[in-house]
Amino acid sequence: MDAARLIPTPDVLQIPWGWFQVLLTVTFFFHLVVMNILLGCSIITFFRHAFGRTTGVNKEISKKLPTTVAFTINFGVPPLLFLQVIYGHFMYVSSILIGVYWLSIVAILILSYYSTYIYSMNYDKIGVFRTVLTGFIAATLLAVAFIFTNNFSLMINITAWPAYFDNPEGTLLNLSDPSLFPRFFHSVLGAIAVGGLAIGLFYDFKKRKGDETAEEGIAVGMNWFAGATMLNFGVGPWYWGSLPESVRSLTGDGSAFFLFFLLAGIVAAIFSLIYGMRHQVRPAVYYLMGTLFCMVLVREFTRRLALAPWFKTSDLEVVPQYSPFIVFLIIFAGGLGLIYYMIRLVLTDKGAHP
Amino acid sequence: MNYPVWVLDVFGGGTLIALIAIVHVYVAHFAVGGGLFLVITEMKGLRENSPAILEYTRKHTRFFLLITMVFGGLTGVAIWFTIGLLSPAATSSIIHSFVFGWAIEWIFFLSEIVSLLLYYYYFNKISSRSHLILGWIYFACAWGSLFAINGIIGYMLTPGEWLNNHNFWSGFFNPTFWPSLFFRTFLALMIAGLFGFLTSTTIKDAEMRHKMVRYCGIWLMAPLVLLIASAVWYKAALPPAQQEMIFSKSPELKPFLSGFIYISPLLFAGGLLIAAFRPQSVRRSTAIVLFFLGFLYMGCFEFIREGGRRPYIIHGYMYSTSILKQDLPEVQKTGVLQSGRWIKNREITADNRIEAGEELNTILCLPCHSTGGVLNDILPLARRFTPNGLEAFIGSMGVANPYMPPFSGSGEEAAVLAEYLTTSLVPGFMPVAPDITPISVSPAPFNPETSKYVLLSGSTLGTILFSEPEESGIDLSYGAPVLRAQLIFRDESPSVIMDEATISFIIHTGKGKIEGRMEEKDGFFEATLAEIPTPVKPYQPFFMADINAEVEGKIVAVSQMKIGVSTELGCRNCHGGNWRQDGRSGISRVTAAGILKSHDTQSNTNLSEDFNKGKIIVCSACHGDVSRGTESKPGLLSLSTAIHGFHAGFLSKGDNCALCHASSDTGASHSFDGIHKQLELSCSNCHGTLTDHAVSLLKQEGETGQAEKLLSLLENRGEVDIDEIIPRTPWTMEPDCLTCHVDFQPPETDNAFNIWTEDEEELFHNRMGEAGAILCSSCHGPPHSLYPAISPYGEGLGSLQPMQYQKSPYPIAADKGCAVCHTVEMEEDMHHPGSLGIFRNKE
Repeated sequence: MDAARLIPTPDVLQIPWGWFQVLLTVTFFFHLVVMNILLGCSIITFFRHAFGRTTGVNKEISKKLPTTVAFTINFGVPPLLFLQVIYGHFMYVSSILIGVYWLSIVAILILSYYSTYIYSMNYDKIGVFRTVLTGFIAATLLAVAFIFTNNFSLMINITAWPAYFDNPEGTLLNLSDPSLFPRFFHSVLGAIAVGGLAIGLFYDFKKRKGDETAEEGIAVGMNWFAGATMLNFGVGPWYWGSLPESVRSLTGDGSAFFLFFLLAGIVAAIFSLIYGMRHQVRPAVYYLMGTLFCMVLVREFTRRLALAPWFKTSDLEVVPQYSPFIVFLIIFAGGLGLIYYMIRLVLTDKGAHP
Repeated sequence: MNYPVWVLDVFGGGTLIALIAIVHVYVAHFAVGGGLFLVITEMKGLRENSPAILEYTRKHTRFFLLITMVFGGLTGVAIWFTIGLLSPAATSSIIHSFVFGWAIEWIFFLSEIVSLLLYYYYFNKISSRSHLILGWIYFACAWGSLFAINGIIGYMLTPGEWLNNHNFWSGFFNPTFWPSLFFRTFLALMIAGLFGFLTSTTIKDAEMRHKMVRYCGIWLMAPLVLLIASAVWYKAALPPAQQEMIFSKSPELKPFLSGFIYISPLLFAGGLLIAAFRPQSVRRSTAIVLFFLGFLYMGCFEFIREGGRRPYIIHGYMYSTSILKQDLPEVQKTGVLQSGRWIKNREITADNRIEAGEELNTILCLPCHSTGGVLNDILPLARRFTPNGLEAFIGSMGVANPYMPPFSGSGEEAAVLAEYLTTSLVPGFMPVAPDITPISVSPAPFNPETSKYVLLSGSTLGTILFSEPEESGIDLSYGAPVLRAQLIFRDESPSVIMDEATISFIIHTGKGKIEGRMEEKDGFFEATLAEIPTPVKPYQPFFMADINAEVEGKIVAVSQMKIGVSTELGCRNCHGGNWRQDGRSGISRVTAAGILKSHDTQSNTNLSEDFNKGKIIVCSACHGDVSRGTESKPGLLSLSTAIHGFHAGFLSKGDNCALCHASSDTGASHSFDGIHKQLELSCSNCHGTLTDHAVSLLKQEGETGQAEKLLSLLENRGEVDIDEIIPRTPWTMEPDCLTCHVDFQPPETDNAFNIWTEDEEELFHNRMGEAGAILCSSCHGPPHSLYPAISPYGEGLGSLQPMQYQKSPYPIAADKGCAVCHTVEMEEDMHHPGSLGIFRNKE
């Protein structure tokens, strides 16, 4: 079976692919940050409840979780949209191959989402059940993460696609791909690190506002951050070693960028870790954001290099139509302005309801 | 074709998307209308200075947030995921065509989330003015979301100019954009009222509850009126093709149309009821019932809208099989197995027919059909067909059943797909040619030296079809057999004996003998049986009859004749059920039920109910049939026209007469077994292809009933230009032998179609030779079984009388055998030119 023949013909673009690549990269970065906070905080609270560390930190996290879910999902929409524009002909295929799991994400997320509300609204009433609930939330979110990892690794693992002919029911997973588990663990540890750092940052704000109890929160967050990041230094090379030869050979188009961003990300992560271990929250955040952005770019280059034998984004046909793009940019700016206005409205309005 | 197909079995056929989409759309509309409900209700609370109303609004906001943001948001994602899994090509197309439409919708979605969270979390924490601003922003963003999605969804149904220019704005502001936007807006407001009932009926304070329930009632009823008005506008804005698909061409949509029509007043009445009755038990239960009615209402609308796109997923652009309309001719030429990407069996071989058929089913059928599921289940459909029936049906897709896309594969792929569906997916339908045990017959005695008379006889129509109404419950039969005989006194100048002769017959039927006498007619004797006799068992597609001629009380001649009556009507090829008798003949009640169900669906009749009560449905009671002497009810087609006209759309490809008639080479009746069969002519040589044949009948009916509609389906599908086909009346205007056999000579053509006998007198069985004495059929045998006929039911059975009188199977007096009647050889071909010739087509 010639796997190359299985690759569908892509549709034409309205503007050159580079625009979509920029939109994809930027929006994915924001999704990644919020999603990491959600997943990381869920795991951290679970372990804290499980090990009897049920303090105010957990309660603070519980209050923020539902909103974080809302924004994780919302911020996930544009990267998924722009990904489909450039790589839809790969992603639809991999989604179909794992169809049952892929669609189950929605059901899992609904359960997860409602669980965060139950956890948040009933924090004081549910006692021991908090461990079960946070365990459930963390487990469901991990399941979602695992399915996503499967899909996005399978979409570039073309040689695994012919497995469809033996299993067209959508119950395949990309288990034969050596990069699957290192990629998953690398991402989850990254999420825990970001989650920890988010906790640290939250309490750093409190501390700056004069909250004397904030030190505990900072310590909790930064310890989780440092621990997860150190582990990731171990998992990173494992992930690297599992990548396809077309990526590791560093000979394809864009390999220089790939290597540059990879090294820059690692260096930034080292700095971030150093600051994190010193509980210097803000420098750690800055460096970690740098790491994350570099890793987002590394991820994009990995995909490009892995698909290089079959597909180049520059091959995508363009039939220009710029007006929808311009209208989008205008509405986007308007939307951001509106959000700014609303936040300002509630922060500046001190009048109580009659 | 471009993408793999997710094999879902019972969850296929749109079940997944229907479940997810209807739930989401219901909640999504609530998210829009409910936003306005919140802010207006808050304003009402402020205006009336009512803390209770404000508290209700606050609680309703929490309910609203949990329902719309969590459930609504995620089911929206679910739709996106689902369409990508089920129709990746279409999803890719709408993503690429409207990527910035989706992106704009996301901005509205983001603003909705922010405003709703702020609205909820800052209830009672900021000034009412600021709070109301948040509420209004939420509603504006939610409606903006609807605005964006409405453009893209509407494009799929009515792409309008986009089809020509592929311009974003042409597709977005498509022909139904505005009516759909208003329709959905009113729907959203109405749904806000329905959800409002759920919370307002739980208010503890009775007066407050009463007040708010009535308030919600206004939200339900006022938009409902506007909704109906916008629905009318929406309908009017639909292009003709989509209107026809929804309102006339898709019988499956009728329940949803009815549902939408009937639920509208029910919702209104429910709104009045809940507003008028105070008891809590009534209100609570009514609120829940109305909520589910609203859900059904939404479901009906969504099914109608989706149905209107058929057979496309993007109307006029991409078929539901994900094949682009512009690519179809090329795919049909190349074949699906060669054109597709996700194909394992690219070549069809003897070993992989079933596997290839399964693959074709996956690619072409499963995008719309489930396998054993609730929606569009393919199993009962496949179960109805035999391979040949289904193959013919597949060829008609997109024409007689316009809600299906045209079959995209090659002829061989149609055969392989039909074989898979009817023998593997639904096992047990591979037809087997029945074993035929010949009967022993020997011609009646005749001594050319001593016999003074020749008795020639036969039935007028050859083999007639009999549906055994007592058994099957449906009477589709021809008129009862008509027997004819001519008694000839042998002499150098023979004469046809009439006055002093008596002709009697004894028919051997499945219920004993039927005896009778023939009546004297103009030059022949004739008997019309009162009814079609009971067939002989084991199956035999004819009755043997003994014919006796008496003159002055003495039997002067005897003969035997075969009266063809077949119960092998091929309705089961497409209407389900099995043969009723011995696995080879007879319409079963299951088949009859299938026929009547189709009739009820297609023609809005209620025949199935009568049938189920045990009544026999007599087709010719409504559709006039010359062979039975009945006339059509006003506005209805004659039976022959109705049946041929309707089925031609489904069976128009290939030579499909034997799918219904008993003429198959592999069947049990072999009703076409005469010399033309031996010469490998087919039905269409004389009658035209089924399409052309049907057109000739439909054109004769003019504007009667569905004639024009059926005719329109047959345009460009026949072999003869539809404008050139000469209209004809069934049974009296038939192919004329002399069209090919000009002046009784060897044929100059093998196509007799489109030149018809002018009246009954010219019909073969009524016509006499040029001497005006002998019926053509007396010497040549009955239609379709012209001598020499070869019947598998017995050697010589097809040519009994030629064998009796001249020891050869050829027409009477062939090979200069004039002595059969003339006692001597003749030199003049007085019966017709060429009658003194040597039979040309001997084996």
